[in-house]
Amino acid sequence: MGFEVETVIKIAAYTGGGIAMGLGAVGAAIGEGYTAARANIAISRNPEISGDIFKSMLVGQAVAESASIFALVIAILLLFMDAATPSLLKAAAFLGAGLSMGFGAIGSGIGSGYPGGEACFGISQQPAADSQLTTNMLIGSAVCQTPAIFSMVVALMLIFIDFGNAPLTPTWAAFIGAGLSMGLAAIGSGYGGGLAAGASCEGISRSPQSVTNVTTIMLVGQAVSQTPSIFGLLISFILMFKSFPESSMLATPMALLGAGLCMGFGGIGPGIGNGMAAEGAVRWVARNVEHSNELMRIMLVGQAVSQSTAIYAMVVSLVLIFVV
Amino acid sequence: MGELGKLHQLIIPVFGHNITINLEVVVMTWIVFALLIILGLFASYKRKILPRPIQTLGELIVSMLYGLTEDALGKELAKTYAPLICALFMFLLVSNWLGIIPHLEEPTKDLNTTLGLGIMGFFIAHYAGIRSKGFKAYIKEYFQPIFFMMPLNLIGEVAKIVSISFRLFGNIMGGSIIILVVSYLTYSLVLPPFLYGFFALFVGTIQAFVFTMLTVVYISVQVK
Amino acid sequence: MAIEGAEIVKAAAFIGAGLSMGLGAIGPGVGEGMVAAKACEAIGRNPKEAGLLTRTMLVGQAVSESTGIYSLVVALLLLFVV
Repeated sequence: MGFEVETVIKIAAYTGGGIAMGLGAVGAAIGEGYTAARANIAISRNPEISGDIFKSMLVGQAVAESASIFALVIAILLLFMDAATPSLLKAAAFLGAGLSMGFGAIGSGIGSGYPGGEACFGISQQPAADSQLTTNMLIGSAVCQTPAIFSMVVALMLIFIDFGNAPLTPTWAAFIGAGLSMGLAAIGSGYGGGLAAGASCEGISRSPQSVTNVTTIMLVGQAVSQTPSIFGLLISFILMFKSFPESSMLATPMALLGAGLCMGFGGIGPGIGNGMAAEGAVRWVARNVEHSNELMRIMLVGQAVSQSTAIYAMVVSLVLIFVV
Repeated sequence: MGELGKLHQLIIPVFGHNITINLEVVVMTWIVFALLIILGLFASYKRKILPRPIQTLGELIVSMLYGLTEDALGKELAKTYAPLICALFMFLLVSNWLGIIPHLEEPTKDLNTTLGLGIMGFFIAHYAGIRSKGFKAYIKEYFQPIFFMMPLNLIGEVAKIVSISFRLFGNIMGGSIIILVVSYLTYSLVLPPFLYGFFALFVGTIQAFVFTMLTVVYISVQVK
Repeated sequence: MAIEGAEIVKAAAFIGAGLSMGLGAIGPGVGEGMVAAKACEAIGRNPKEAGLLTRTMLVGQAVSESTGIYSLVVALLLLFVV
């Protein structure tokens, strides 16, 4: 094409950095806005304890900020790092890293806002449960950020690992596909985890003595609803580390790109759905502690069934990678 | 801006492989140890019934963390694990605050520190689980609720380590990067201390608390 | 194509800056709007506390703004420094 390798790498790095920070800022801001909104309603209900509510709001927003801080780290790395071994492949890797972190921070950002908001509202209804609510809010929104952390791991790997002498086509599509797969799949899981955490804070405010049961089922529900993002992570790893033979047909890189898109988009729905299931279960465990075992069983079965489309997406991705 | 990636490293060649020690991070960790030991000695030196300010501070911290551990683990187990949790929290708190002192850097800015602490927490949680439930019941947990969930459960456990380590690393590293970049772009005297206050003090405290709480919660999930 | 290498890099930097600030403005916009809406509802329920509620709303909006500021910083870096 007449461009130098360094130029193409810089192009990809800057575009990737812009995407990473741009998309990464979306989720956290919406989540923090939701927290502040609920805190306002809470203060209007109960102005005397506005100091406590205010403190909880700030703490919750600080934890939800983490997702965009990860995006900032990746963006700055992309802007200022010089690639050790310049090759056109690195350009594709940088773009993939930007995509992965950018998309990945959206869901977790929005999700982390829910527990903060519900905790602030819960403090206004039940001021005595203040410390338990704050603790639960911190745990819930921290675990809810796990998909964004996976995205950051994939982005860091794409930036720093030297992929040696892999052939340019079709590996460029493999890297961009890896970024898309992890990034998109993290949207659903992040949002779903947030739903579960929010419901747990609401439940604790209604019945503070059920804290241990509610926390346990929240953690289990969040862990299962992170499974679609783990599938996305797996496909990312396979795309990054499998060695593809050199091929000059158009079909092969498009197949790898398609695998990334398939797993990426396929993880969004099941992630949100699993989160809704966990939310319902957590909400009703707080109201009905004696039946928490049955509720957990039904939640797990329901989540397993609603993950079926994610499994189909993973199967199709694997077929696209290995068979085509 | 090139100093983002520079790190003083000590490379020792052993039997053909290289052992790399990040010298700066290790020295910073020793400084944290020294500060904590001095604080502890001062707080408990000549304990009186009517305490002096430093002793009150020490008692306040210990009682708060002991209460947290008891809430999650129950009275008997809390006696075994509370010292660990207190030590973990104090170490993380002082490490995250170390960046305020000029020329010193937080040891948690390096992935090795946080990953090491995460793996330690993981092993302790599983050891506690095996000791309290017995080996057979512990293995059976992985096969709940359906048989083929086993690989997913295993991956979930590893994911827990990855997530708490990277979360702490990302937050602290991100804070220091923002401060570096903003100081580079603006020539203000007011903005950097304000930023330091927010990122190092506020976010550092919260992240230390979150890391500690998650470790406690993981231990409690294993021993139930 | 007789386009210079350095030109294209500048072009890409500008596109990156545009993406960064453009997309980054979505989030704070939506978030702060939510805060304002709920603050209005809150003041409607309890008009005596208008001062406290306005203060809380502004602080909440300021924290939500911070991600927009990160995007601005990255965009400025792309425009002027690289």
